[in-house]
Parts: sequence; structure tokens; C-alpha cells
Amino acid sequence: MATTTMSHQAIGSIVSHRPFKASQFLKEPLNVPMKSKRFKIEATASQISVVDNTFLSPSKNRPQESKKNSNEAALILIRHGESLWNEKNLFTGCVDVPLTQKGVGEAIEAGKKISNIPVDLIFTSSLIRAQMTAMLAMTQHRRKKVPIILHNESVKAKTWSHVFSEETRKQSIPVIAAWQLNERMYGELQGLNKKETAERYGTQQVHEWRRSYEIPPPKGESLEMCAERAVAYFEDNIKPELASGNNVMIAAHGNSLRSIIMYLDDLTSQEVTTLDLSTGVPLLYIFKEGKFMKRGSPVGPTEAGVYAYTKRLAQYREKLDAASQATLD
Amino acid sequence: MATATSHQSVVSFASLRSSPSSTISQCGFKIDSSLSFTSKKTNFCKIKAITSSVSYDNTLLSPSKTIPDNSQKKSNEAALILIRHGESLWNEKNLFTGCVDVPLTEKGVEEAIEAGKRISNIPVDVIFTSSLIRAQMTAMLAMIQHRRKKVPIILHDESEQAKTWSQVFSDETKNQSIPVIPAWQLNERMYGELQGLNKQETAERYGKEQVHEWRRSYDIPPPKGESLEMCAERAVAYFQDNIEPKLAAGKNVMIAAHGNSLRSIIMYLDKLTCQEVISLELSTGIPLLYIFKEGKFMKRGSPVGPTEAGVYAYTKRLAQYRQKLEEDSEVICA
Repeated sequence: MATTTMSHQAIGSIVSHRPFKASQFLKEPLNVPMKSKRFKIEATASQISVVDNTFLSPSKNRPQESKKNSNEAALILIRHGESLWNEKNLFTGCVDVPLTQKGVGEAIEAGKKISNIPVDLIFTSSLIRAQMTAMLAMTQHRRKKVPIILHNESVKAKTWSHVFSEETRKQSIPVIAAWQLNERMYGELQGLNKKETAERYGTQQVHEWRRSYEIPPPKGESLEMCAERAVAYFEDNIKPELASGNNVMIAAHGNSLRSIIMYLDDLTSQEVTTLDLSTGVPLLYIFKEGKFMKRGSPVGPTEAGVYAYTKRLAQYREKLDAASQATLD
Repeated sequence: MATATSHQSVVSFASLRSSPSSTISQCGFKIDSSLSFTSKKTNFCKIKAITSSVSYDNTLLSPSKTIPDNSQKKSNEAALILIRHGESLWNEKNLFTGCVDVPLTEKGVEEAIEAGKRISNIPVDVIFTSSLIRAQMTAMLAMIQHRRKKVPIILHDESEQAKTWSQVFSDETKNQSIPVIPAWQLNERMYGELQGLNKQETAERYGKEQVHEWRRSYDIPPPKGESLEMCAERAVAYFQDNIEPKLAAGKNVMIAAHGNSLRSIIMYLDKLTCQEVISLELSTGIPLLYIFKEGKFMKRGSPVGPTEAGVYAYTKRLAQYRQKLEEDSEVICA
């Protein structure tokens, strides 16, 4: 995969609709008929929040499995479930609304499905519904490593949240909250009722905002703009971790995840606008030798199905089973 | 209760008792002559309010805007609910947690939901939490059970962008929202170099007595950490500056936080001595109710769950609130 072009421009303001130029090519240009728009995402300087390296120094102790085959890593994507505004049919965007009871249930269910897949690092958005989804899902994880949310918002926050035992750090899964993984910002529609909005602006206009690739709602983001900052963040911060052999879970939102999938699967803008991610159903990718291989949805532990997506994951599962046998004996 | 704000961070209290026993000596004794002591014999811990930063979107809570009837009519009375979060993943592993941001276990999740059931009939207009996920999750899970059906919304002011991006553009929706304000000042006591250490390992490293002293004294901090006194200082200051004014304005408040930050606040509400506060244990997941009226805090114990027998109407106003909820749900059923 081509390297990320870094620029020193701050991420574009979302207040005005700026025309996006598909000028920088990150990937090798493909022979694509002109009718389908293939949008190349330009990586803008995204805030690289420094992952506390003491948690994850590649040279330090890491679970044996991922060390042996450090050219392979699992990537799990989970879209959070129902929020209180979904229930009320309000446009949510970046308003920080929590999960409903149903959303909580979806998170736990998702957790059961990934309980056998190794997780070394978790990325979430800065919104509680994604963070809760991640934390609830991890209560189901078999490994029993403890997720710890990293705080980098100030020197004090960093100091105060410091862990003083190396052994404990090794048993931890760093959780990094990033606004770049937030839901698409819906501008002046945030908090509006979907029906009321259709009445105010007209059904067609609203449909265009919701389903087009590049047209943002007033003072909001287009899917394109959302994709820009989400994919840039992924390339700058998440992909390198996968490349080092760390297994990653991302708990985020419909639009930020679609954007990432557009990048992983090389989708066109047309394809991405019709892509619908189920809530609470984890998607698994295997990153190997620089490529992302789609592996569908892991099944729950009690469901019949192929769960060993790769030899390494099969061995991991075996190890977990052996460990729980040992405790039962 | 007037708040004395000063730029000094001083906690002073008169710990002179008539009893000759020297057990009180553990209380730090810093005298600030500008504070008036009511009597040498009374043991009041007077916490000086430190300037704390207050930033949240006032449009969500303008007193002049539409507020549920009950709190507008009798703005001299407000409910204050305190909830201590339940079991975290490090409690389970017996590690010192402090300000490390560790999430809840399944049990902790259930405790939060249970707590929510107990407060489902008590009005909540604004929620304060710490900046740690276990308290925030506790608040959100508890509110899922709330009967009022207003939607908690976490306010973001960590940057201009965060503020702009989280804006709500409908007045009607804002009126149906309960602002949630995270504050580091409500965090658990910072445990310094003990954070992440196993309790046994720590006893081996430093000696049992030393560890006991750090855990149970009022003013002795663990290395690079906070003493309970220091924790109380910033928690109570925050309470006085940001939470008490809300109560005074008739807003019903819920605080979801931690053992030490809540004890500190209770020390202030109940006027406990430092001796009393170090032996105060708060149950996890059991909400505590106070009524704030005419400048005073009246302790009202633990609200019972909706299916349990017990006195649930702590004041006439709360009884009316409950009645209204019952009527509303009947209308829906009818």
C-alpha cells in the first residue's frame, strides 16, 4: 500500500462546504471507467495521539501467537447498537447520546461473537455509545486482559492515569478514544426529528444529504469529509499497529466505519453510499502482507460455523480452550 | 451556605475535642485565620473552595427555558442523588485502581442497572460524573431505567471543535435532554505509585502498616498520589462551585462517581469529622438521596426499588412527581 502523504494543513473546517479534489493518489491508479467515481482519500495531518508505548512495545512481551506470525493481525470492526435518539428518530451525528437497553444488549452479543479473537488494542470514537459498546463487548472476552482507556487530553490526565506495574501493563489492552472515528457530523440537522426535517427542507434535499457522497448538510460533514478524517486516522494510527502484528478492534459508527471499509475493500463512492453496516454485528478482517482480507462475521461460540479464519486464530482459540480446561481440572 | 473562594488550597478544620485521646492526630491541622470556627469543640471540616474551571453549554439548562413543572414551582427544593459505581475489572483482580481508567465488570454493569431502578422515580435534571468510564457507564446504564424518558447527553468542551460538533439544533430536543457533565474533580482519589499494583505485592514492598496508613489515614498520601484530604479538597470545591448552585436553582442533580470523591462530598453534606469520614463506607451501586432545601442538605437514605415496599415519597414534591409519572404511564396504557 502506498505511503501516507502527510500535510501540515489542519483538517479542513467543516463549517463550509469545500469542494474536494481527488488530487492525491494514495493507491495505484486503477483502470476505472470514468462513470464510477473512485475517490482517493487524501491523508491530512491527523493528530497522532501517542499510544503509550510502554503498553505495546513490539519488543516487549506480547502474546506468543502474534509474535510468531507478526505479519498477520486481526482487525475487528463493530458498529454500536441502538441509541436513545435512534429510538426517538432524531438525527444524532456527533451529539453524545448513550445506548438504549437494546443497544447494551447488542454490544454484549457482539462481545460474545468476538470472544475468541485476540485483541491487543482498541480504538473508539470520543462518543460514549461507541466506548460503552467496546467496554461491554470486552466483558465477554475470554482472554481476560483488561481494557484501559488512555488519557492524553492534558499532562495531568496522563500523569494521573499512569499504571505503575509493568506486569499489570502487560495484562492491559490500551483503549484509544479518537474524535476522528466519530460519527459523521450532521450540522444543523443534529437533534432534529427526521419528519420535521423533511418538512422544513423537503424530502428530496434531506435524502440527498443523507445518501450522497459529497453533499454536506448545513454546517455539517459530507460522507466524503467524514471519510477523509476517518481514513487518515486509520492509516496514520491503526494500520501501523496491524503491521506490527497487533490485533485491533475498532468500535465506532455507521459512517466512520463505512469510510474505513471503503478503504479496506477499495470501494467506489457509489458502492459506499449503498453500504449498510449491521449494528452490533462484528466484522472481521485479516491484515496480512499489507493486504486486508475480508472474513465476514464471526459466529458466536455456541453457533455452528467456521470460526478459525486462519491457522493462527485457530491456534489462539485452542490455547484459550486449553487454558479454561486447566482451570476446570 | 456561602462559598468562600480563595486562591489558597487549604483545608482547615477544628479537630480539638474535649476527649484526651489522640486518635484525632491523624487529621492535618492547617489553620487559616480567615475562616471562622463556630466553636472549638465542634468538629467541622471546612473546605475552602478552590477556583475550579466551569465550562458547559448553558443553553441546555437556561433557567428561563421550559423546565418540568415540579422544579419550577418549588425552586427551593431539589433532589441530590449520589451513586458510587460498582465492580470494576481491577477490583476483581485486587489491584489498586485510583485514576486508571478501568471499565466495569458484568457485575458492575448489573449494579448500575439496579441502582437505576431505585432512582427511576426521582427527578433528574442534570448529571455530573467523573472523567472515568466506570462512573460514566454507571450513570448511563442507570438512566436507561429512568421513567421520565428524557435523554442524557454528554457535554463536550475539551476543544472548540468538540463543542461545535456536539451541538443540538432543536430547542424541543434540548428541553428533553439531561446534560451530563464529566469532571476530573470527581475522579477517584489518585493513588500515585500504587496504581496498578496488586494489594498483596504492595504490602510486601512497603510493609503492611505503611499501606494501611496510606489507605486509611486522612492526610497521608501514597508516593506521588493524593491523600483523602487532597481528594476532598478538589471534589468539594467542585461541588460547591458547580453543583450546589444548580441545586439552589431548583435543579435535581445526580452524581455518579467514586468511593473517595463521594465520601468527600458526604463529609461536606453531613458535616463529618475527618475521623468519621475515614471510617465511612459507601456501598457500591446503592444510590443515596439528599434533599436540598433552604440551603440545607437533608439525608434521606437509600431509595427503594419500585417493587419494594417502603417509603418512597421523601417529600411532598417527590410524591407529586411520582404521581405524575404514574398518570403519564396510565395515559399511554389506556
